[in-house]
Amino acid sequence: MNILEANSVSVKYGDFQALWDISISVKAGQLVALIGANGAGKTTTLKTICGLVPLAEGQIIYQGNLISGVPVHQVVDQGITLVPEGRQLFPKMTVEENLLVGAYLKRTQEKKAATLQRVFQLFPRLEERRTQTAETLSGGEQQMVAIGRALMQDPKVIMFDEPSLGLAPILVQEVFEVIQQLHQQGLTVFIVEQNVHQTLKIADYCYVMENGRIVQEGTGKDLESDPKIREAYLGF
Amino acid sequence: MELLPQALIDGILLGGIYITIAIGFSLVYGVMHIIDFAVGEWIMLGAFLGLYLNKWTGLDPFLLLPLVFVVFGLIGYLLQPVIHRVISGRQGNPLLMGLVFTFGLALMFRGIALTGFGFYSHSIPSTFSDKSFFYEQGTFFMTVSGIRLAGLIYALVITVALHWLLKKTNFGLGVRALAQNRDAAALMGVNGKRTSSYVYGIYVGISAMTGVLIGSILSVSAQMGPDYTIVAFFVVVLAGMGHLAGVPWAAFLLGLVQSFFLIYLDPGLTMLAVFAILFTILLVSPRGLFAKGV
Repeated sequence: MNILEANSVSVKYGDFQALWDISISVKAGQLVALIGANGAGKTTTLKTICGLVPLAEGQIIYQGNLISGVPVHQVVDQGITLVPEGRQLFPKMTVEENLLVGAYLKRTQEKKAATLQRVFQLFPRLEERRTQTAETLSGGEQQMVAIGRALMQDPKVIMFDEPSLGLAPILVQEVFEVIQQLHQQGLTVFIVEQNVHQTLKIADYCYVMENGRIVQEGTGKDLESDPKIREAYLGF
Repeated sequence: MELLPQALIDGILLGGIYITIAIGFSLVYGVMHIIDFAVGEWIMLGAFLGLYLNKWTGLDPFLLLPLVFVVFGLIGYLLQPVIHRVISGRQGNPLLMGLVFTFGLALMFRGIALTGFGFYSHSIPSTFSDKSFFYEQGTFFMTVSGIRLAGLIYALVITVALHWLLKKTNFGLGVRALAQNRDAAALMGVNGKRTSSYVYGIYVGISAMTGVLIGSILSVSAQMGPDYTIVAFFVVVLAGMGHLAGVPWAAFLLGLVQSFFLIYLDPGLTMLAVFAILFTILLVSPRGLFAKGV
């Protein structure tokens, strides 16, 4: 069953149409990827799903409920969360406070002590830095906080917007491992990435986007062996 | 030299009132990026409510504070969506729209007050008004007025309560998240509109209560607003725009500068001195005393 669906979604920024008739479906427990060049509309797609950007046409359905047009804070309350591009932490707050904002929602308040321990288990580095302010962290640590903060929300679907952007290769590896680990624990993952090679390897299903349109879709394996994709995104 | 303790205590007591004039103003700027030109008028309206409630009920103004807070908190809570609409339109610079809108509110409130309450000055009698403490030690001596001391205590209570609210509660965590990154706060489940309404309500409520106090310590008149708007601006700019923790120190500094000028130099030059100091500090550190403003 599809846990998340976008049906014929179009988005306009004023006169500029950013998304054209996008349809995407994500099954519960899957790891689905969206790849494409800069400016293809990947970030807009994610922002539209969680309600940060209003859609012009189409609908977004989560667990059988219409969520397009619902304010962001209510969308995330239903169990979808986004780890945004560029982390978007709260710079003046400590690591721990950043994580606790993740447990702002009423349904996550009660178990926040336990979830915090789980996040610290996943990222022991964050426990060491818990009293440091977010702006003083390295890029990799900031990404850990961003992921940890999303996990504090106890989501069913977690969306990542270019989690490897600006990270050193070894950290990219670490981030991908964490994402795979979360996926194996049963979380549904929807990921936008420029790191196509890595992404195709871990994705169950994949969409390719160009100029605001979905131009191709298939399993990670299919796309990896597709000559057009190899040429455009993998460089060989 | 004999007057030094007096100058110090006067400055601190005055600074205390300035904290509560500026603290809500700073919070609203930090969270909503609204520079509220009507801050002095909220103080004025609160003072008049206090004045009339005191006349009708005979209760001490300090006992009326909670009621004044509730009334004006509600007004602020209900007004915030209107301000939000004005500043979030597609056209125009939000900061400027907020400034113009609240400037208009200020003019309107002043006009209404002049028509409704007249232009005379009043004062709200309190049981603390006629109490004062006198200390003498050798050649040093000072007088501490009871009402001003009560004002300082009120200011400290408000400051501590606000600090607790922002640092120790889940609501406060949401407010701070909203101030630092609006979109990310929404993604964490913070209802930006409602939280902003609460914050604006808290600010208007605090300002109105401070008005009652000012009405007791100094005076109430329909034209008192702009004086306090200037104080709020001074303190908040000096503290660093949106840097809440700097507000008490900037307020005490302003209070001390004023009291020292009043006692040792020419009272007529006080405001000139205040702004000369503000300009000098901003030249050296444009982001306020602690270089933490925006």
